Order: sequence, then structure tokens, then C-alpha cells
Amino acid sequence: MSEQTARLIRTLLLIFLGLWLILTLFPLYWQFITAFKSAAETNRTIPSFWPEVWHFENLVSVFAEPTNFSALVDSFIIATGNTIASLVLGSLAGYAFARFPRQAGGENLAFWILSNRMFPPVAVLVPMFFLFDAMPWGTDSYLSLIILYLVFNMPLATWLMMVFFRDAPRELEEAAYLDGYTPLRAFVKVTLPLVLPGMISVAMLCWIFAWNEYLFANLFVGTQVRTFTIVIPTFTHGSQTLWNLQMAFSMIAMLPPVALFILLRRYMVRGLSLGVVKG
Amino acid sequence: MARLQIEGLCKGWDFPVIDRLDLTVEEGEFFIVVGPSGIGKTTLLRLIAGLESADAGRITIGGQDITTLPPYKRPVAMTFESYALYPHLSVFENIASPLRARRLDKAAIRKAVTDVAKLLRIETLLDRRPGEISGGQKQRTALGRTLVAEPQVFLLDEPISHLDAKIRHELRLQFHSLEELRRVATLYVTHDYAEALSLGDRIGVMGHGGLVQIGTARDVFMRPRSLFVAQHLGQPAINAVAARLTGEGAALQAHAGNTSFGFPVVAAHAAVLARGDCGQVTVGIRPQHVRVLHNGEDAPGHHVIDAHVEIYEALGANGVLVADAGGVNLTALTSLERDFAHRQPVRLALQTDSVFYFHADSGDNLLL
Repeated sequence: MSEQTARLIRTLLLIFLGLWLILTLFPLYWQFITAFKSAAETNRTIPSFWPEVWHFENLVSVFAEPTNFSALVDSFIIATGNTIASLVLGSLAGYAFARFPRQAGGENLAFWILSNRMFPPVAVLVPMFFLFDAMPWGTDSYLSLIILYLVFNMPLATWLMMVFFRDAPRELEEAAYLDGYTPLRAFVKVTLPLVLPGMISVAMLCWIFAWNEYLFANLFVGTQVRTFTIVIPTFTHGSQTLWNLQMAFSMIAMLPPVALFILLRRYMVRGLSLGVVKG
Repeated sequence: MARLQIEGLCKGWDFPVIDRLDLTVEEGEFFIVVGPSGIGKTTLLRLIAGLESADAGRITIGGQDITTLPPYKRPVAMTFESYALYPHLSVFENIASPLRARRLDKAAIRKAVTDVAKLLRIETLLDRRPGEISGGQKQRTALGRTLVAEPQVFLLDEPISHLDAKIRHELRLQFHSLEELRRVATLYVTHDYAEALSLGDRIGVMGHGGLVQIGTARDVFMRPRSLFVAQHLGQPAINAVAARLTGEGAALQAHAGNTSFGFPVVAAHAAVLARGDCGQVTVGIRPQHVRVLHNGEDAPGHHVIDAHVEIYEALGANGVLVADAGGVNLTALTSLERDFAHRQPVRLALQTDSVFYFHADSGDNLLL
């Protein structure tokens, strides 16, 4: 390849990347500037691409309704609770599938667990509502969503943890047995540290799913418990949508996952590549 | 008195791997199990360690039946072929692991670990991770982890086979001098016959289903019970030639069919062989018992045959020559000063009194 063609390809690649960046970052940029506009400015026919006056008070006025802040707390409780439950159940199941495939029900059971993720969730929306309504924890509670989201997150956690456990050499556990550790202590001392990076990335995926979920939350909760995802539409009134407050609130809601990702990104990348590179 | 005793041990999956194996290793004995890859040597160790459960049989250590005990309750320590060092822990923590399992206090652990590390000359590496040390150092660390546990039985699975030749030799010498290993029963598994002959108080050659022959290194090497044992010990491997015994008494001859290769059987062997019905045999001649003669050299007491050079390899300490002796390929050890060309005619002297005769079908040594 001549130097000229190489340079041409490089230039085209850079142009493509630039376009890609604009495409993906534009919504974030739009969210950011809209969050600081006045309500009047958001409704102009010819939009402005930079706020005329920065209305920082928007960030405060979204919490004029005091339940709006508690919705963020509720979302946090549900997302975290569901993540912990998914990790505990998924790790135990994944460990069993990885180490004792035959006794644990084999490929078929593992695949059945995964298949629960394959149907369109909206198809079971109504049956689920009645099912949960008949349960002691009802629908409008933390527990209802924590349990419901297991349907989506536990299969994911089970399968990813199964892969991570398969990659953790069994011999290390056996060495720990011979050192005198019981199976449980050997698991904690040897296997758990080895799969921890993977576990953290699984936790991130589960947490973000539960944090973002809208469809079921909208139907299930709303009185005792409110997630932030069902608060965002409340900025739309009969005649008017308060775009600036909606954007300000969703920007605030975006911060926890972004902060989490930045804090844990080192593990996230290591975890996701763990199963890829062998040896 | 902690002797390891195995009686009628059986283990198999779709096919039997270990079939009614009996073995006793005394306290203080260094016992080597040698055999080809995949024959079940590691399975034997895993059974003793409790990582596999026996299908039948009994394993006792110092009289205590441990057949059904879980591995963490057995008084054994084992090194793995892959070393199985904990990658997230330092060398110090790796060695300290068995002591942590027993919840010893900090000072005692520190002292025990440093003592073992000094013994194995890895005391400067204690803060490193297993990923940051060499293969030989990993092996020492793995060994340290077993030594510090002070078990009643040591199980060493191919401890030095994956290291380069120089370090292998160094560690072999270390195994000789480690008092700790010499105080208890040690079972050492290898596929390398030189390790086996060098290290073992006694060695056991493992074939299909179990130990084919048990004895001192010298005994097993000099008096192999079968062709399998003879083929497994020695490098280059023993020459095995299908032959027919013809003639009577002192005139007994070994002759390889369809070739001109043959030699007279020495009287001492003929006397034994004549007792059995053994027309068809496999003749075993070790390469060191085939000498390449210089021009005009005589070899009294040897049978001399004419041959052509097929392949010659110079291997540093000696040379290995493969020659076509009347239709049969014979491997011979030569000294290094000499060089050979392809198809060059040579004269080979067979030390016929060191030849083995094996049963053509069963492979049993007919001289025993």
C-alpha cells in the first residue's frame, strides 16, 4: 500500500470517527444545554444551541416536588438490592454450572435460565402484574421490583459468572483443599478473588439495567415507591412539557451510573475481557 | 509411624484407569512412580489426596483409614504439575497458606515461612507475585507450600518436568538433600526415567491398570519384568527386535525373520530359555550394549555384525547411531570423537550376555 492510500484511509477513518462522535454525543450535549434553558427558550421554533441565560436554578427546582428526590433514592435501593440478589444467586448458580455441570442440571437447565431473557417482556406485563398483586409483597413495593428484575438480571449474571468460574482454574481450589481449607473457605480465599473483576462488571450491567427500567416500574409502582424513571414523564403536563426540568432531572439521574462506571472502569474492562484471552 | 498403605485401589471412568493397585510406602521412603503420559499416575496421586474418590479399595496413613476423608482432613500435601500457585497472593502468602488454614498466629507463620524460604533459597522473592517469578522459582514456591504444612505424606506430581535442563538438574540435587522430604513418606510422579533412577529409593513403573514392577532403581533397570518396563527406562530406548530362537542347547541362535540379522544365544541364557516353549521372542538390546568398532578392532566375547549407517546424531555427551544390520535397525551409543556418514559401512559388536528375551505376546521377561 502506497503512503498516499494509507493517508487517505486514515483521513476517512478520522472523518468517520468524528461523525460517529457527533452522532453519539449530540443527545448528551442537547440534554446538557436544555437543562439550563428557560422554559420559554426550550419551546422556540428555531432552537438555540447554547442557552441565552444559564438557569442553574433548574437543578434545584426539579426537587420542588420533594418526592422527586426520594424517587432517586428508591431507584437506588431497587437497583442495588436487585444487583446484590442477582449476584448472589447468579454466582451460586454459575459456580454450580461451571464446576458440577451434570449434577446442576446440565446445559439444558442453564439454557432454560438464559431463555427467560429471550421473550418480549411486554408480553407478560399484565399477567405479572396480577401475579405480583397476589403476593404478600404486592406490587407497589421495593421487593416487587427487586424480585421482578431478577427475571432479566439473574440469567445474565448466571451465564457470565459461569464463564468466569470456568476460567478460574479448578486446581487452585484443589490446592486450597490440600492446604486444609474447607470448600467454603477455599471459595472465599481463592476463587472469589479470581472472579472479582468479572463479578464487578456483572454488577455494573445488572445495576444499570435496574436503574434504567421504565416499563414494569411504570405499571407496578407509583404510590408508596416511585422510581426516577416514572418521575421524568411527570414534567409533562396536559398542555406543556417542561423540557428544561425534564432534562435537568435526567442529567442528575445519569450521574450515579457514570460515577460508578468511572470508579470501576478498570475492573469492568478486565472483567469483560477475562473470558476472551486464554492462558 | 506414618506409612502409606494402599490396598486394592480401583478407579475408572468409562474404562478402568487403576485396577486393584497395592502399594506400601514406608515412612522416610522416597518412592517414584514412573510411566508414560496418560497412564493414570496423576489419578493415583489425586486418589491419595482425596481429590478423586476411589471406586474400591483402602488407603491408610499411619494406620488411619482415610479412604473417605475429604482432602482438607487428610495429612497429605501435594504439588501440582501446573504448580497451582494462587496468582493474586504473594509468594509469602502462597507458602503461608496451609498455616493460615490452621489459623496459626502471625509470628509463628512468619518464622515458618522464612525458614522454608531460606531452605529453598527464595527468601528474596517473598513479596513478589507468582506472575513475576521464573518457572524454577514457582516450583520452589509450590514445594515450600507443601513443606511448611509438615504433612505425613508428600505427593509430588511431575515437579520438575516443565523446567529447563539446568534448573531441573539443580532441583533434582535439591530433592536429594532435603531432609524434610526424607523424613516422611514421599510419592513422586514423573515420566522421566532419569529422574526416577536418580531420586528414588524404590521406583514403581506404571502401566495400564497399575504398577507393573516395583523395586530399586538398579533392580528395575537391570532386571525389567517386561518389555514395557524395559522400553520405558533408558534413553535412547531399548532396541526391540522380533526374532525366532532356533537350534538346541549351546547352538541356540536368535534370528530375525526375513532378515540376515542373528546372533548366538550365550550359554547362561540358553539354559533358561530352553526350559520354556519360546520359539518366537522379542529380543531387547540396550543401545549401550551395541558398540561401534573401530577399523580392525576385535571384540572378544561379543558378536560382531556388519551394518550400514542410517542416521547419526551427535548429542553433546555422546552420539546416537542408527544402523541397518542386515534388515534390522539397531540403535547404538557412540563416543563423540567419531563421525559417521550416511550408508557408511560399520561393524557393530553386540554384548550378547546383556541381551533380554521377552515373550512375543505377553512381553514377559523370559530370563526371570
